[in-house]
Amino acid sequence: MLRKLLLLLSLALVAILVVIGRDVADPEWKQYQRAYFDLAMANARTEAERAWAEGQRLEIRQVEVKGLGRVDRCTTCHLAIEDPRMTSAPEPLRAHSALVQSHPPQRLGCTICHGGEGRAVTSLAAHGEQGEEPSRLLKGELIQAACFGCHGRQTLPPRDIAAVIRGERLVNQYKCLRCHQVRGQGGSEGPDLSTVGSRRDWVWTYAHLLNPQAMSPGSTMPDYPLTGDEARDMTAYLLTLRGPDGEVHDRRFLPQSPAPPALAARQVAEEVALRGLENIPAPVYRGETLFWGAGCGNCHAIGRRGGEVGPALTYIGRSRDAEWLERWLKDPAAVVPGARMPRSYLNERQIRALVEYLGMLGK
Amino acid sequence: MKIGRPFADDARSCSRSIGSRRLLWLPERASEVSGHIWRSFVRQGYPVTVRERTAIMVNNFFLHVHPPRVHPHSLRPTYTLGLGLITALLYAILAVTGLLLMLYYVPATAEAYGKMQDLIFVVAFGRLVRNLHRWAAEAMVVAAFLHMCRVFYTAAYKPPREFNWVVGVALLLLTLALSFTGYLLPWDQLSFWAITVGTGIVSYFPLLGDGIRFVLLGGDTVGGEALLRFYVLHVGILPAATTVLIAYHFWRIRKDGGLARPAQAGNNHAATVLSFPRVAAIELLLLLALLVFLVPVSHVFDAPLAQIANPEHPPNPAKAPWYFVGLQELVSYSAFWGGIIVPGLVLLGLLLLPYLDRRPHGIGEWAFRQRRWAWILWTAFVLVTAVLTLVGAQFRGPNWNFYWPWEGWPGPG
Repeated sequence: MLRKLLLLLSLALVAILVVIGRDVADPEWKQYQRAYFDLAMANARTEAERAWAEGQRLEIRQVEVKGLGRVDRCTTCHLAIEDPRMTSAPEPLRAHSALVQSHPPQRLGCTICHGGEGRAVTSLAAHGEQGEEPSRLLKGELIQAACFGCHGRQTLPPRDIAAVIRGERLVNQYKCLRCHQVRGQGGSEGPDLSTVGSRRDWVWTYAHLLNPQAMSPGSTMPDYPLTGDEARDMTAYLLTLRGPDGEVHDRRFLPQSPAPPALAARQVAEEVALRGLENIPAPVYRGETLFWGAGCGNCHAIGRRGGEVGPALTYIGRSRDAEWLERWLKDPAAVVPGARMPRSYLNERQIRALVEYLGMLGK
Repeated sequence: MKIGRPFADDARSCSRSIGSRRLLWLPERASEVSGHIWRSFVRQGYPVTVRERTAIMVNNFFLHVHPPRVHPHSLRPTYTLGLGLITALLYAILAVTGLLLMLYYVPATAEAYGKMQDLIFVVAFGRLVRNLHRWAAEAMVVAAFLHMCRVFYTAAYKPPREFNWVVGVALLLLTLALSFTGYLLPWDQLSFWAITVGTGIVSYFPLLGDGIRFVLLGGDTVGGEALLRFYVLHVGILPAATTVLIAYHFWRIRKDGGLARPAQAGNNHAATVLSFPRVAAIELLLLLALLVFLVPVSHVFDAPLAQIANPEHPPNPAKAPWYFVGLQELVSYSAFWGGIIVPGLVLLGLLLLPYLDRRPHGIGEWAFRQRRWAWILWTAFVLVTAVLTLVGAQFRGPNWNFYWPWEGWPGPG
């Protein structure tokens, strides 16, 4: 009896291991690779193409993005993204749009724009549709939000970020900043949205905009009558608000800009150190270089650069006029009693240059 | 299967019950050629006579932990339910799978989560090994607790086995500690917040609470130091302590006269039977049964892995690992009473139990009639623990509000 049981269980275990072994040896991605190479073989016209299709091995392909700690294995299934013959093939074998030429996947990977789980090699997991808190791929126009991870707003052509611009307009139209804060501006009624893009999955944000109470029980946020398109555009904008973790700091990924502003600022700073600020005539620099050279940027941010002590000034030109800015810069405490910002030591012309620059911001 | 009936000791019945020597490929004919080499690593051939079957328990390294003869009462499956053995076998499975996982895991916040994904998606059989480790760990917590229940119900902690019960309680705590430290290692949202909540309970300990938590985490919050510390505890310190204590637990079983049994079962040499081959066969059988159960389960059901840990985004509710959720439920009523007094009294009661309850009633038997109140008290303890755990795990939603299962929580966090 005991002996028979031992034999039975041993055989059962061996059978189980054989079944599992066959499962493990035939993962989903191998089907796609086989389909691709079969297709390439069938459509091969030259001997070289045939030899290429024959010589391909079924293997996991990955891009390791140095400096970002990302490993993207998307090309294990989407292995034809740079094959011009595959522009009308069904997914996952379709070729990528022309954008792939300026964003080489061998260097950047895929998830940097598309989101999802780069290390996964099953479609459900890789597309972030599994688990308790899914991180789904950015779909349709939402992907515009990803551009902001690397590119500054000014460098992006408006037609490429149309949804984000519409979304930002809607955020202003619905006066979201009456209650929410973004980088130090806005009310304190609702949660700070400065990093909402890296905290929340887009599905959550989208659903929350359409029905706040359903996603956050007991939320006091009004249920605005948004259309699906409006909610999508606002989501696209909110996704661009990311914390330091969600941003790409590695400047190697950016196209070389002709004149980095930091250089000009350093020159001014050196001159200030050499000659004393009051001795430099205003026309030597513009407001922008003054902003970074005279130390405003230590406390205030413009865009993604600058300090966090004072409010961000990215859109200050919209909310304050030149006359107010001038009064403020001369003596903050005279405008708002108890203001923390120190009194200015700038001369008249320097203040005017700075006001001119600040007045432009956000317009 | 007729377990508990003494075996006939003659060679023929032995070979009938376990198989011929040729089946096991033992060198009878080949001995002239390879006998010398074979003898160099097998100190004794397949034992046939009573003398040989007694000697093999000493001569064989792996059998050495067993006594040469056992009382048939100890072999009754309905007496032990095999729970102690199952717990020990699960520990062995955990040691093997754990060592395999160590080949890939890196205890650093920047890499740990990526390594989990690599294990799941890229490493051959990595997903299976990880799932096995996880489900065996959950099973070991359950098996150790059930083993303790069995020992209580059969009064096996009574003299002279008091101290081995205390060792068993320590082993249960070590099992929980092993499970808890392992919980953090995937570095996902579940593990991060479960450990944040779990170590939060520690800080309710009077005076020393915050200090203990600081030492445990290597800081005030769960971070890189905590991950490294938990890793070292999980793969080094705690397994070493557990292995030594398990060995001591086994050793004490023999020194205390084998498994507990009723006085009328008899205690002399004539009442015992040879351990070989039945004990070894039963152990192998249980190991195979466990694997036949756990391997398919681990192939089909994935161990949980949420998003990567994000200290800025706490889930609501944030729950401790399930075996501490009952404690978390208690803490939600009162941090001091639920977090310190009640669990402290339970632990003290468990440790002192064999020294308080010394009446020699019902030893080695499932004897409800002789120990009515003990049974009722223990069953009440088990039920309360189970209900608290169930409520904490299943019926608590956002802000630790109570929800019936059919109500559903209002939206994801």
